[in-house]
Amino acid sequence: MLREVTLGQYYPVDSVIHRLDPRVKLLSTLLYMLSLFLVKSWSAYLLAVLLLAALIRLSKVPFRFMTKGLRGMLFLLLLSVSFNLFLTPGEVIWHFYFLKLTREGVRIAAMMASRLILLVLGSSLMTLTTTPNQLTDGLEKGLSILKLLHVPVHEIAMMMSIALRFIPILVEETDKIMKAQMARGADFESGGMFQRAKAMVPILVPLFVSAFRRANELATAMEARCYRGGEGRTKMKPLRYEKRDFLAYGFMLFYLLLCVGSRFLPLP
Amino acid sequence: MKIIDVRNLSYDYVRRDENDKVVEKSRALSDLNLTIEEGSFVCILGHNGSGKSTFAKLLDGLELPAEGTVLVSGRDTREEEALWEIRKETGMVFQNPDNQIIASVVEEDVGFGPENIGVPTPEIWKRVDRALETVQMTAYRLKSPNRLSGGQKQRVAIAGTMAMLPRCIVLDEPTAMLDPSGRAEVLRTIQDLNRREKVSIILITHYMEETVNADRILVIDEGRLVMDGSPREVFREIERLKSYRMDVPELTELAWRLKRRGMPLPDGILTREELLRELKHCLPAGRAEDPPLPEHREITDPILRISHLSHVYQKGTAMESYALRDLNCEIQRGSITAIIGHTGSGKSTFVQHLNGLLEASEGEILVNFREKLPLLPEEKRFLFFRLRRERKRPEGEEISIETEGFDRKALRFKVGLVFQYPEYQLFETDVLRDVMFGPKNEGFSDEEAEEMAKEALRRVGLPEEIWEKSPFEISGGQKRRAAIAGVLAMRPEVLILDEPTAGLDPAGREDLFRQIDELHRVEGMTILLVSHSMDDVARYAEQVLVLSGGELKMSGSPEEIFSHIEALEEMGLGAPQMSYLIRDMRRAGYALPGRPDTVEEAAEAILSAYREGERNA
Repeated sequence: MLREVTLGQYYPVDSVIHRLDPRVKLLSTLLYMLSLFLVKSWSAYLLAVLLLAALIRLSKVPFRFMTKGLRGMLFLLLLSVSFNLFLTPGEVIWHFYFLKLTREGVRIAAMMASRLILLVLGSSLMTLTTTPNQLTDGLEKGLSILKLLHVPVHEIAMMMSIALRFIPILVEETDKIMKAQMARGADFESGGMFQRAKAMVPILVPLFVSAFRRANELATAMEARCYRGGEGRTKMKPLRYEKRDFLAYGFMLFYLLLCVGSRFLPLP
Repeated sequence: MKIIDVRNLSYDYVRRDENDKVVEKSRALSDLNLTIEEGSFVCILGHNGSGKSTFAKLLDGLELPAEGTVLVSGRDTREEEALWEIRKETGMVFQNPDNQIIASVVEEDVGFGPENIGVPTPEIWKRVDRALETVQMTAYRLKSPNRLSGGQKQRVAIAGTMAMLPRCIVLDEPTAMLDPSGRAEVLRTIQDLNRREKVSIILITHYMEETVNADRILVIDEGRLVMDGSPREVFREIERLKSYRMDVPELTELAWRLKRRGMPLPDGILTREELLRELKHCLPAGRAEDPPLPEHREITDPILRISHLSHVYQKGTAMESYALRDLNCEIQRGSITAIIGHTGSGKSTFVQHLNGLLEASEGEILVNFREKLPLLPEEKRFLFFRLRRERKRPEGEEISIETEGFDRKALRFKVGLVFQYPEYQLFETDVLRDVMFGPKNEGFSDEEAEEMAKEALRRVGLPEEIWEKSPFEISGGQKRRAAIAGVLAMRPEVLILDEPTAGLDPAGREDLFRQIDELHRVEGMTILLVSHSMDDVARYAEQVLVLSGGELKMSGSPEEIFSHIEALEEMGLGAPQMSYLIRDMRRAGYALPGRPDTVEEAAEAILSAYREGERNA
């Protein structure tokens, strides 16, 4: 059952957005976030909303999956909205004892909320349309400039993808060890904090031993298959920009220009 | 042409302390000399710790010799420039399927090797396609390895080496962690590679049956090459093999026994067909009638009674699935009961109900232990008061574990469950303390727990000098015993063992089974054995439960169960070698008494038929 655990939140359908190069998606998400902090006017926000709506439509991911990310944010959202609503000084439009609602407060709170929501939805769109492996690949290729600064980009990406493969296996193993110790009468539920922490020892020691054993065996297996780091490696699925990727870049650039331009225009 | 040429090879295990100083040095291999011809199929046999895995690593340059040389198609593994060429040409497949798959998608994993050696992208795709084709895994190319069976994973690993276009593949116990169908699947793939792709195969294994079709068998013992020859030559020397903690295929053993008792048979018979052919010359053909089915043995004194047990996952949803469905059976006190079924048939789910680790969705389990478990008192909280009232045990000896107040935690001490590969649960600083873990959880004092632990360690045959050692320092077989002792120390009345001999060498399997059998005979312990090996089941079990798809399909004595070979095969199971032989003999018209399913019984049956023939002639 535990093997069914999926990492990330990839939603497997085939769409234009899914097929985009992960580097495009990573960079575009960054640009989109940047744009949200650039704009000041409501009409520019409308543009951002329309763009995201169009992209979500294109991605064929049902909207309810998008909002999953928002649920975790709900508390933070409410907190920042209420702070902005009641603590911004300015023209009072309604008050209740010490709580004052100001016109500026309403405006800033609304902006803040829409910014946060769009931010979360935007990044959800990326994680929903990109597999964890594509993300690692994208990061490796996209950050390869850092190699000049002697950052081991390939090694980091390899570590990430191995971690992705082994997390479900280790989760299952933890379950197995827990059951084995329970069969010897171990009790993980009762007792105080200290006792519970102590009860974890019979799980953690075998788990670490097994993780090291696996790491050791995996390293040997990789060596036997001629792995010797990123040097001189080719790729089975190399990331190559297609026409649509350049189009996407162009489109995002155009959008960003519009956002920058909106700052200088007297828009509502 | 020679693909491998080993000259005067020696290798030492070296243990170092924190300061990198050598603490201990022991010889793993000494003065090995051998060559392997290109295109041949060579098996290497040797007991656990005989040095055969080290030998495999030396062939691939993963370890380097202390003395002597290893030449792989003429290249020395000690030369650094040659190393990558050598690893390209000799692929390696290891024992644990999970620990050698690197990527999260099958096809990407197969492409990992070619990527490493810088093969251009279009060529990688061609190689991956072809490699997946050869191991017949094309249909799974986009799957996650986590969703494959053990046998399928090993085939992916083999494809991974094939994509490097090797001339030779070294497989280090690739079937040790698989069930019989997975084992057959991997072996078939290996034999195909050898025959069709002309790849040299070096197969290290503990299963004698896998070596029968090899061109050559090498036996390594204590780091030395002690036997070298064709399967027929090697398996002729049964006694010598047993002295190296090895075994021979059951059919070979049967023929050997028959010959020793006076039947004119040649040495080194390997297959059923061969034996049948030879037996034709010495047995009188007649009309064989199937002997009557043995009587169904009634269970007179059940220690466990399982009634209408079901386990449902995600009940009431669209994903509802039955792991167990309406199971009804009884376990005789003091018997050895075997539970057989293919992977995913519900065996593990079933046994986890018996010690209360899992709760039944429907149905109940009734227990009848010698020592009656007290019921937990009824507890009521009223503000700051706690009212405790003794609960009355219902009348009768038997009690359902669903009874109000039944102490499920106490059940775990009465029904000991030893999981598969139990050595992975060891955690303490020394063996004795690890074994004390159970009794201490049960609430015994340190002294009592120590006494119980010592007794358990003696019962599994672990010598005293090991008790103080770290459980991570001792050998694999000893770890297995220590882990079993950890459960035995709780003095359970029922002991459940899930594949207790997996991964052990033939002599290790035999030793462990003898000890289990002793627990049962001498102490009258009730034993439940989950096993894949039909030969072991036939030899040791008194009752067999057959599970398939979460349902109990058959139950009865081994003779009864193994009379239904076809039904068993339909469930993806098999029967003991001997049952197949006897069936074939009956079909050929030989009259044999009884329903033998072990070597000893089969030998007696065939001998009695032989004597009968002699007398009549």
